[in-house]
Amino acid sequence: MVVLTCNDTSSLVVDKLCDMAGERNIAVSCFYVDFAAREEQTPTNILGSLLKQIVGGLEKVPDEISRTFQDYRKVIGGRGLRVAEIVKILQTVTSLKPTFICIDALDECVERHRPEVLDSLRKILQKSPNTRIFLTGRRHIRGEIETHLGGRAAVLSIKPNGDDILGYVQMRLSKDTSLGAVDSGLEDEIIKSLTENIPET
Amino acid sequence: MSMSFRDNINSFNVSNVSNHYALAEDRSEILTWLSPLEPRIRHQDLRTRRADSIGEWLLETDEFKRWCDGAQREEPDHAILFCCGGPGVGKTYLR
Repeated sequence: MVVLTCNDTSSLVVDKLCDMAGERNIAVSCFYVDFAAREEQTPTNILGSLLKQIVGGLEKVPDEISRTFQDYRKVIGGRGLRVAEIVKILQTVTSLKPTFICIDALDECVERHRPEVLDSLRKILQKSPNTRIFLTGRRHIRGEIETHLGGRAAVLSIKPNGDDILGYVQMRLSKDTSLGAVDSGLEDEIIKSLTENIPET
Repeated sequence: MSMSFRDNINSFNVSNVSNHYALAEDRSEILTWLSPLEPRIRHQDLRTRRADSIGEWLLETDEFKRWCDGAQREEPDHAILFCCGGPGVGKTYLR
């Protein structure tokens, strides 16, 4: 049973940060990597998408970006930014205010693309010390993260606790329309039975 | 009109008069040009499927707080937080 996923963790953290953004002058940018969408989720698109969200939160598109856009649209068929160009602009815009960048399920990013994404994040951090990076993924990419981000990542294991399991079971039962027969007594019994058998982690 | 705005217009293709009008309206076009992907839609989708209050303990951990609060103080040591789950903590939802 998957109670607390990387997706859950990321969406929880992004929500928390968005709440904070209502009170403080911070920028929040997120990306959910999905193996099924690997064709379109290139480093260019991942980083471009992070940049787009930060720029979208600014009152005015920075001149550097408008100018480049105007220049590149003159090229036949138009031209997009390259990774190095995106990183350079990200270094600038993330320095404007504290910026939180969240990337979910990094392990689902195509292996050959991961170093470029991680190296880009490192370059952004180098120029912008008030930027925070939040990553989720399976444990096996920890070494890669440490290699490319200079061993500076704090690591937190996602393990559901009793409240998580209870909340999850209640949500599943409340959404289960096929179980019209579930009365509150049966629901209590299901919850009791499941939560009493949570393995120690 | 601010100085920088005017400079910006003058810096490219002044022969095209429509640029004066296009600039402000280009905003959404520029954003799409930066990336056609819309991760906010995926975020909304995941958040509606997430059980209420699930995982909230994570926001109370020292690791999260140090990471989150460090942004104001420009602490490079706590700039990155990696949350990892084993295969059992998974990638997919129980259907």
